[in-house]
Amino acid sequence: MQRDVKIETLILLSVCVFVALAVTAFVLPFEDTETRIFFVGLAVALASINVFGFIMVWHSSPTIIDEIFLMTPDGRLLKHYTRRLKPDQDEDILAGMLTAVQNFIKESFEEAGGKLKEIRFENYDIFISHSKSVVIAAIISTKKPEKLRTQMKLVTEDIEKQYGHKLLNWGGDKSDLVGVDSLMKKLLAGKYR
Amino acid sequence: MRSWMELKELLKKVVLLGDGAVGKTSLTARYVVNKFDDKYIATIGTKVSKKDMQLTKPNLIINLRLMIWDILGQKEYSKIRTASLSGAQGVILVGDLSRPETVKSLESFWIPEIESSVGKIPAVLIGNKHDLAGKGSETVETLESMGERFGYPTFLASAKTGENVEEAFAVLGELLVADVVASRPKGAEELPQTLSEVVDFIIQDFCAQYGDLEKAMLIVQHQFEEAGVDIRKPTRDAVLQALEGLAKAEELSLTKTVAAVNLEERQRLIILAKG
Repeated sequence: MQRDVKIETLILLSVCVFVALAVTAFVLPFEDTETRIFFVGLAVALASINVFGFIMVWHSSPTIIDEIFLMTPDGRLLKHYTRRLKPDQDEDILAGMLTAVQNFIKESFEEAGGKLKEIRFENYDIFISHSKSVVIAAIISTKKPEKLRTQMKLVTEDIEKQYGHKLLNWGGDKSDLVGVDSLMKKLLAGKYR
Repeated sequence: MRSWMELKELLKKVVLLGDGAVGKTSLTARYVVNKFDDKYIATIGTKVSKKDMQLTKPNLIINLRLMIWDILGQKEYSKIRTASLSGAQGVILVGDLSRPETVKSLESFWIPEIESSVGKIPAVLIGNKHDLAGKGSETVETLESMGERFGYPTFLASAKTGENVEEAFAVLGELLVADVVASRPKGAEELPQTLSEVVDFIIQDFCAQYGDLEKAMLIVQHQFEEAGVDIRKPTRDAVLQALEGLAKAEELSLTKTVAAVNLEERQRLIILAKG
């Protein structure tokens, strides 16, 4: 919610600056054409900088992931990362139930085929990315998930390449996943490739 | 040759199967970590709970986490059941000793169902409501002979009294780790053994994970000073106290989860260290 306010404020500010400059350039009387051209040029330049700045801020602000679950398709939790303390939550059980819900939906809508990719609840979105032996579920409460979707797809593919052979018939030994933390931390930081 | 001990963290998926109302959910309720209401079994066909246990083997401590999937017992829901059985590594088959047909259906329906879905996996048979069934009853004999034929350990249990429930889980746990052996006999000499060696190992490990060696060493120095650790002659209590401080630093530089895992592992090393 906080990010929405910031972006909306930025848009409002951009519009105000543009209007102020436009009024200065086109409404106020100028004694000569050169002064008017100077102010019109200034208005255009400042408006362009404003728009460019807005686009840069929009692109550079990452989607904040609240929680992320790295799981096997059969519902066993491999890794869990969270920004919030949730003492009542058991991440292993939650991962299992999340998989159970996916199974339920998949079987209930069998004719549609495919897999569950997104769940929305109030302010929360859960994005799910699948590969043959890995499932990643990310919970976010901010907007702009487009980049996150792409990054989740990439990290899922990379984990599949690196660990897929170990996870296909996984015996449950978490030490098989040494190194996966560095990949997941990049995703959490919004810097995955 | 120094003695050594390896710690393994294993995560296994176990499925509870049996006809409806045989007491699957009641059997586990007292022995597992439950976070979701039983109504989820009726609504989405499954409820997941977990049970942690520790098993020891030569040179090996196994922390085994069982993720227990309690599945709707109605036979008609085959698709949900097949999906939930996927990846199962163990199964607890439950029959109601006061209802002979539920014991018979273990052999006629549930065992073939498991074998067709996930093949032959470790299993235990539980005859529940033993407190209601008479000694030497025909149903008990049926269950025991079934267990012998399939090679499944069999337990006469009662969710009401708690009889044999814990034992059934323990035996299934043993079966699940039957093939697991300590994997580092050759490298054992390299494992830190004395308290000083362990402390040195922890410092190296902390610095490696922290990334910035200079900053990491400053943090180590600060935490060791705070906890009163004499690096030449460390005491167990002081080092354990310092580890808490290192974990707090890692919570900021890494993640809470990684910091917690590191703390647990380092505490274990300190406790197992000699001297």
